Amino acid sequence: MLSRVSTGGLLLASLLLSACSDEPAATPAPAYDEARARLVINHYADLALAAYSDALSEARELRGQIDALLAQPNAETLAAARQAWRDARVPYMQTEVFRFGNAVVDEWEGQVNAWPLDEGLIDYVADDYQAVMGNPGARANIIASQSLKIGEQQLDLSELDADLLASLNELGGSEVNVATGYHAIEFLLWGQDLNGTDAGAGERPATDFATGEAATGGHNDRRRDYLTVVTDLLISDLEAMVAEWQPDQDNYRADLAADSVENGLRKMLFGMGSLSLGELAGERMKVALAAHSPEDEHDCFSDNTHFSHFYNGKGIENVYLGEYQRVNGDTVSGPSLSDLVAASEPQLDEALKADLNASEAALQTLVDSAASGVHFDQLIAPGNAEGAATVNGAIDALVEQTTRIEKAALVLDIQALNPDTANHSF
Amino acid sequence: MQRLIVLITTLMLAACSDPRQQVTTQLADQVLLPAHQQWQSRNMTLLDSTRAWCSGDQELASLKQAFHQSQSAWSRLQPLMVGPLSEGNRSWQVQFWPDKRNMVARQTEDLLDEFADLTQPQLEGASVVVQGLTAFEYVLFDEQTAVTENRDRYCPLLTGIARHQLTLSDQVLALWQQPEGMLDKLTSFPNARYANADEALGGILRVQVTGVDTLKKKLGTPMGRLNSGVPQPYQAEAWRSRHSTENLQASLAGAQAVWERVRSLVGDAGLVADIDQAYKTIRDQLEALPAPLMELVQDPTRQAQLQSLYQNLDALETLQQDDLARHLGIQIGFNANDGD
Repeated sequence: MLSRVSTGGLLLASLLLSACSDEPAATPAPAYDEARARLVINHYADLALAAYSDALSEARELRGQIDALLAQPNAETLAAARQAWRDARVPYMQTEVFRFGNAVVDEWEGQVNAWPLDEGLIDYVADDYQAVMGNPGARANIIASQSLKIGEQQLDLSELDADLLASLNELGGSEVNVATGYHAIEFLLWGQDLNGTDAGAGERPATDFATGEAATGGHNDRRRDYLTVVTDLLISDLEAMVAEWQPDQDNYRADLAADSVENGLRKMLFGMGSLSLGELAGERMKVALAAHSPEDEHDCFSDNTHFSHFYNGKGIENVYLGEYQRVNGDTVSGPSLSDLVAASEPQLDEALKADLNASEAALQTLVDSAASGVHFDQLIAPGNAEGAATVNGAIDALVEQTTRIEKAALVLDIQALNPDTANHSF
Repeated sequence: MQRLIVLITTLMLAACSDPRQQVTTQLADQVLLPAHQQWQSRNMTLLDSTRAWCSGDQELASLKQAFHQSQSAWSRLQPLMVGPLSEGNRSWQVQFWPDKRNMVARQTEDLLDEFADLTQPQLEGASVVVQGLTAFEYVLFDEQTAVTENRDRYCPLLTGIARHQLTLSDQVLALWQQPEGMLDKLTSFPNARYANADEALGGILRVQVTGVDTLKKKLGTPMGRLNSGVPQPYQAEAWRSRHSTENLQASLAGAQAVWERVRSLVGDAGLVADIDQAYKTIRDQLEALPAPLMELVQDPTRQAQLQSLYQNLDALETLQQDDLARHLGIQIGFNANDGD
C-alpha cells in the first residue's frame, strides 16, 4: 500500500514535471533533414540568380528602346520604351522577395527602386505638386539647373553622369529625393500623373525628348542625357547584383552557403513574410487606400501598380515552391521550402499552397480591374466602395498567408524570424 | 486508484493550465480591457468638451487638455491593442502617422471647402486622414487654421471627429465584451482564434513588441534615421501639439504593464533583471528630455542623448522579441513594421 502511494506520488511528480516544464517533453525529431535544407537554400540562390539575370536582360532591352526613342522621339517610340519599362518590371518585382532578410540586397536597393519620390527633384512639375514637408530638394529640377544650393552647399550639376545622379539620392537627407532607379526612369517616360484618383496616367509628350523646333519641356538635351545615364546606371547596378548570386565565387552567395542552415531558412521566410505583410499589404496598399492617396501608389506615373503588386506576390510564391518562370518561358524549379514543410506537416504545406493561390487570385483581380480600365489609383478613390473591397481582398489574403508562413516557420523550428535580431549577443 | 487519478488530473489542470492561463486572463481583464475602457471614456469627454467649446461654453485650453487626454489614452493603448482595434483600418482612423506630405492639412481644407456644413456621413465617407486625432490636432494647434477666429468653419469637423472617435471606441469595446468577443477569446480556450493560452499570450506579446518597435520608429524618424541622420522635425508624431514625448511615455507605460504581468512566468532571474532595468532606463531618459522632441532633434548638443535613448529602446525590443520569446517558447511572428 505504502509503495503504491509512493509510486503514485512519483508518477504524479513526473507527470507534473513533464506537463509543466518549459522544455519539450521528449527530444523531438529534427525539424528537417539538414542536407536537404542545404539544397533548398542553394536552389533559393539559383532562383535569385535567374530573376536578377532576367531583370538585367530586360533592363538592357529597355536601354535599346530608349536609344530608339531618343533617335526619333515620337508617339510610337515613346510607347515602345514605356512597354519595355513595364516588361523590365516583371522579373524585377519578382526579385523583391530577396530584398528583406538579405542585407546585400536591402542596402543596394535604394539606388534601384526607391519610392515614393518627390519628382520635382528631377524635372518640371505642376504648380500644385505636393512634396514632403521640409524637403529642400523638392523643386530642385536637376534637368533645368546647372547648379544647386542646399543649405551652405553649392552643387555643380553641369555634368550629368552616374556618379552625380547617385550622389543626389537622399539629397539634404530626404529619402524622397530619388534621382536614380526604376521610378526615376518611369517619371521621365511618363511624367506626372495629374489625374489624381481619376482615370489616366502621366502624359509626357514624346517631344519632351525632341531637339530643335518641335521640342517641348525645355532643357531637352539634359533630359535626354539624364534618361540615358540613369538607365545605364540601372544596368550596372543589376550587373553587380547578378554577380552576388553567381555560384562558386567570392560573393554574397558564398556567405549564405557558409552560414548555418537555420539562418538561410530564416532569411527565406523573413523575406516572404515581410514582403507579404509589412511591405505589400501595408506600405504599398493599405496606406494608399486608407488615405486615398495616389502619391502613395507604387507606380504612380505609369499606373502599372497592379502588375507590380501581382509580381511581388508571385515572388513570394516562387520562394516557397522553389519555382520561377523565366522571361523566355523556361521554368526553373528545384528543392523547396514546400518540400521541407511537407515532409513533416503535409497538411500545413497544402494549406499554405492554398493561401498562396488565393492571394495570387486576389492580386489578379487588381490586374483584371486595370485591364478593364479601372487602375489602382481609381480603386482607392474616396467613395469607391467596390474598389476598396477589391484592394482589401488582396490585403486580407496577404495577411492570411503571412500567418501561415509563421506556422511554416514554426514547423521548421524557427521562432525568431528577423535575421537582424535573431542572433544578437549582449 | 480512481481517486488518485482524479487527484492527478485536478492537480495537473491546476498546475499546468494555471500560470500562463492565469497571466493571460489577468492581462485581458486587468490591463487590456481597462485600457480600451479608458480610451472610450476619454473620447466621451472629448466629445463633450468639443461641443462645449463650439457653443462658447469652454476655453480653448480646456479643449486642448481634453485632446491631450484622448491622445494619451490612445498612446497607452497602442502596445495593448490586440484584436479589434488592430484589424481593418481602425487604428488609422484614430491617428494617421507618419504624414510626410502633410496630407492632413490638404485633405482637411479640401473637405471643408467642399462641404461648408460638414455632416457625419460626409466625414465617414472621407479618408482616414481627416477622421482622427491627427486632423483634430491640426485644427487645434496649427497656426494656419486660426481656429478661434474660424470656429464656424472648423466646428462641424471637430465635433464630427470627436463623435467618430467615440463611435469607434464604442464599437471596439462591444467587440471586446460581447459573447465570444475578444475578452472571451483571451480567457477561455480553445476558441476560434486561439487553441490555447500560449497562443493568446503570444498574440498579446506580439502586439506589445510591435508597440515597442513603433516607439523606435516614432523616435528614430524625426531623428533622421531614415534620412542619413538629417533631422526631420515635421515627421515627429504630434509635432503640432509638441506632445511627442508624452505620447512615447504613455506607450512605454502600456508596454510595461504587459511585462509586469508576464514577469512571473520567467524563471531566469537575470533576464527579469535586464528587462526591468531596460524599462527603468528608458523611463528615466524620457523623463529627462528637457524640450519637445521636434526641438530636440534639431539641437546638435542633444543628439547623443537621443541616440542613447534609441539604442535602449532597441535593446528592450530585442530582449523581449528574442530572449523573452525564446525563454517562454513563444513565436512572436511578423509585425507590420517588418519591411520598412
